Amino acid sequence: CGEYQKVLKSKDTGLKYSTAENLYNEAKAGEGNSRRKYRKALRLFEQLVPEFRGKPQGQKLTFMFADTYYELNDYFLAGYQFERFVESYPESEKLEEAAFKGAKSYYFLSPAYYLDQTETIKGISKMQEFINRFPESERMDEANKLATELRVKLERKTYEIAKQYHHTESYVAAITAFDNFISQYPGSPFREKALYYKFESAYLYAINSYAYAMPERLANAREYFEDYQRYYPEGEYIEMANTALKDIETKEQQL
Amino acid sequence: ALKTKSTLALLALGLLFNFTSAAQDLPLANGQEYTIGEIEVTGNVSFNEQTIIAYTGLKKGEKIFIPGDRISKVLKKLWDVGSFSDVNIYVTNIDGNVADLELEIQEVPALANVRIQGIKKKKQEEFIKENKLNKGTKVTENLLTTTKNYIQNTFKEEGFLNTKVVMNTVPVEDTLNRNTVNLVVNVDKGERVKIEDIEISGNEAFSDARLKRAMKKTKEQKFLRFWKRSKFIPEEYEADKQKILSIYKERGYRDARIVSDSLIHVDENDVTLNINLEEGNRYYFGDIEFVGNSVYSDQELRRRLGISKGDVYNGVLLEKQIADNTKPDANDLTNLYQNNGYLFSNINPVEVRVYNDTIDFEIRIREGKVAYFDEITVIGNDKTKDHVIYREMRTKPGHKYSKEAVVRTVRELGQLGFFDAENLTPDFKEVDQNSGTVDLEYSVVEAGASQIELQGGYGGGGFVGTLGLSFNNFSLSGLFDKDAYKPLPMGDGQTLSLRAQASTYYQTYSLSFSEPWWGGKKPVRLSTSLQHTEQYFYDYRNREADKDRKFSISGITLGLARRLTVPDDFFVLSTAVAFQHYNLSNYNTGLFTFGDGYSNNFSLTLGLTRDNTFSNPIFPMGGSKFEIIAKLTPPYSLFNDIDYANLGDQKEYQLQNENGVLINRQGRPLRDGEDPVPDQGKIDQEKYKWLEFYKIKFNGTWYTNIYEKLVLRTHAEYGFLGAYNNDRGIPPFERFYLGGDGMGTYSMDGREAIALRGYPNQSLIPVDRGVMSSATDNDGATIYNKYSLELRYPITLKPTASIYGLTFLEAGASFDDFKDYNPFQINRSAGAGIRIFMPAFGLLGIDFGYGFDPLPGETQANGWETHFIIGQQF
Repeated sequence: CGEYQKVLKSKDTGLKYSTAENLYNEAKAGEGNSRRKYRKALRLFEQLVPEFRGKPQGQKLTFMFADTYYELNDYFLAGYQFERFVESYPESEKLEEAAFKGAKSYYFLSPAYYLDQTETIKGISKMQEFINRFPESERMDEANKLATELRVKLERKTYEIAKQYHHTESYVAAITAFDNFISQYPGSPFREKALYYKFESAYLYAINSYAYAMPERLANAREYFEDYQRYYPEGEYIEMANTALKDIETKEQQL
Repeated sequence: ALKTKSTLALLALGLLFNFTSAAQDLPLANGQEYTIGEIEVTGNVSFNEQTIIAYTGLKKGEKIFIPGDRISKVLKKLWDVGSFSDVNIYVTNIDGNVADLELEIQEVPALANVRIQGIKKKKQEEFIKENKLNKGTKVTENLLTTTKNYIQNTFKEEGFLNTKVVMNTVPVEDTLNRNTVNLVVNVDKGERVKIEDIEISGNEAFSDARLKRAMKKTKEQKFLRFWKRSKFIPEEYEADKQKILSIYKERGYRDARIVSDSLIHVDENDVTLNINLEEGNRYYFGDIEFVGNSVYSDQELRRRLGISKGDVYNGVLLEKQIADNTKPDANDLTNLYQNNGYLFSNINPVEVRVYNDTIDFEIRIREGKVAYFDEITVIGNDKTKDHVIYREMRTKPGHKYSKEAVVRTVRELGQLGFFDAENLTPDFKEVDQNSGTVDLEYSVVEAGASQIELQGGYGGGGFVGTLGLSFNNFSLSGLFDKDAYKPLPMGDGQTLSLRAQASTYYQTYSLSFSEPWWGGKKPVRLSTSLQHTEQYFYDYRNREADKDRKFSISGITLGLARRLTVPDDFFVLSTAVAFQHYNLSNYNTGLFTFGDGYSNNFSLTLGLTRDNTFSNPIFPMGGSKFEIIAKLTPPYSLFNDIDYANLGDQKEYQLQNENGVLINRQGRPLRDGEDPVPDQGKIDQEKYKWLEFYKIKFNGTWYTNIYEKLVLRTHAEYGFLGAYNNDRGIPPFERFYLGGDGMGTYSMDGREAIALRGYPNQSLIPVDRGVMSSATDNDGATIYNKYSLELRYPITLKPTASIYGLTFLEAGASFDDFKDYNPFQINRSAGAGIRIFMPAFGLLGIDFGYGFDPLPGETQANGWETHFIIGQQF
């Protein structure tokens, strides 16, 4: 380790550069404790990057720097550094890889659906930029898969919030929220659930109403039932929906 | 590359144009079309050649006019970057129609060091930070000018109108030729400009002094004014002129105006202000008509307005009653509409007739469409889960817009303690008048919600260690999800606390958990806790704990609390069942007359609380909190047919030897005619097998905002402990101990320590406990009352640390019996203190209290006491 410390304190940028590059290459090849090597390389890169800004080696250095953050799972800084690389070296042969890893960094940063989704939205737009810019890329499949995963996450968030309104018996809120969801995400995997729970919310809302308000609300619920039935006649919830519909019919006759 | 600068020095900037023509290139003058050959950048130091070329957008092989529009746009683009002090484009070589270009740039120097002279170090740092004067920053003209203005304005705002700022840049001699400069800023702030005199003329209705008092920031220089120094700040002066006018406007002088005002320089640092007023007539309200209202009747609106014909005209009040911008929850006309869906409503008072001294008004109302909330979103929650936030919200999609609901949501999210309460904002988005919908986005900032307590020290003859952890936004479901550990599972709004304390002669453990929305449907708080304590006999002679002789308590509590909707939703009803088991083995305590045996305490606690304090839980600014709590055990003695009064008459409760032969106090078998002796230990064991009592407590606290952030806290509390069966008596458990900091000290008997500052901890035993009483200092009271007044003023309410100072008056007393109860026989005290709340440590504080009354058994006033407060609020 003494050797490394000497390099770290040395003023010889050339020596630092070659040491850092070696450490990076060895780690990349999976030799020895690669995390440790990346970490050592990173400390050198941090010193070197400002020195080499605007110099010919700068391009390679910036890429390795960003990639080291990426390999160390520090996706926040990796995303930022890859982004800078893509802006500064549009001619680079590593451009596509950098753009992809930059976008994927944001994918990794995206938290669970029930937390703030700023990073998810950013990830989707970065991934979409990549898809638009490198339509021929062999990473296209993965990029599409990751972008879809992020989109579904946003859909799930919206769906779960609407479902919570249903669970807490705020039926008017649930109907509005499911309605927004359905028009906002027409192709979502949660569409069937949303249509069903919108109907169920309307149904529960109607049957728990005062008599004077019930006919109109029952009629609404019936309309939502028809929406569900039209799209999912064999759906997962059709039996439950039919049972509720029967109850609506009985209630309508009694009124 | 050829370096024949046979150059057409094409264009030096500035001559150039605002050609609005589109992107394509246009020739200028006798411009010719060329194809770009090589592009070279010279003069660049810190910028990469490729970066600059890429930025210009010029490409090899591109066709351009020289001179031409494209070239001039490139120049302008480079200038606009602000990082170059000179930019030129040269043609270095022409071969046929291929032209090689050279971009010559001169970079703006970068900042090496900055030195600010003539002001305090703290200010220097502030200026450097605010203007971003960091190493490497490009020293542009713009930077120099804005910095200079910033410094001047800062001092102007403090009354230093004559501040002079000189900026000097000095190139740094550098072998590497890095083009850097040092910046030296000389500041001479001069003397503060003071106001020697304020002369007001034209005022008859109000005296000079009254008007000068109205000017809050602009004050005359006076020898004895320490608290508000005289300084002249133009903006403040303008605001204060308006304050003078509002004195008039509030009292009927609608037309009052400042005819002229002048500032006269007496000398360099002193000025005189002359204000010339015209008061005009005093007016009265005439008829007030409402126009355009369909939702509310004239009568309803008039009642809300609270102004009637004949009142002295008050423009300020009228405005306030229509729309009070200082209070979001004001009881004004605007909120009448805003809280009931009329987001787009608009209310305008118009003077329709002025005759003599009377003004008739028409209040014109445009009600607009009812608005509904549409999408409600939250951003910034990177720990707390959506469902925890959404369940607290009063604004819901599809519900009618209500400003009150927004205000209350913000307040209640702040009270959760998970977010920085001062930094919670609702943003209205997509306000659509046509569809009548509004989207709302709450932006939150997470705040630390966990507390750690780790203590170690010597006490009671040995090492005492405490470990306490309290997680206020815990996630139980995350316990088994390895991704949730960041570093601990968080975000479900649950509370988990663990506490362990151990020393050589006792150990105590507790674990508690609570879930505020059990089942997620309704705000039903489920709380559970488990405790276990073991105390060993401590032999003071050989200083060892004897682990065979011990006293242990194990307990479990299970509680449910739910928010009610009737009579209003500030009410919370709570229920809890608790079971405690006491076990003694060869261990005598003051509590029991027996050394071997057991006791059980099974109780039901019912509580009703109303809490509408707001908005910061650390420092409530208003509202009140009431609490009534009843703790009951089953009335076993009603059913078990035991005659507790005469237990001593039965053989099994009388002293006897191992063979069951009755004995006397000396241990000898009873002789004829000798009466059997009751065995107090056995009697008490029978009495305390299952504890039997009922306890009722009342607490009331009011917070009143007196002035700015000064808050008065008024508090009263009462407690009573009673027995269903007087023969069985009140057990020595669950009693009240008055005095001191009120912190729950280590105790085994379920005692309640009631704070009363200015006296030692738990020192105020019942006043009428006579010398002959069998009760000792160790026995708590069964009745107490306490009153307290506390004035609080915050020093800072930042999320990292909230600090406030306080002064208090307190009084209280405890009693053994209702017949002794006297609400005026109290122990009084007064004092002052400070509280610091930091999210990681909880509440810390120190109070100094003076007790005006003597302690029981003493004759002199108790005097000063110091109290340290940890983790609990008075």
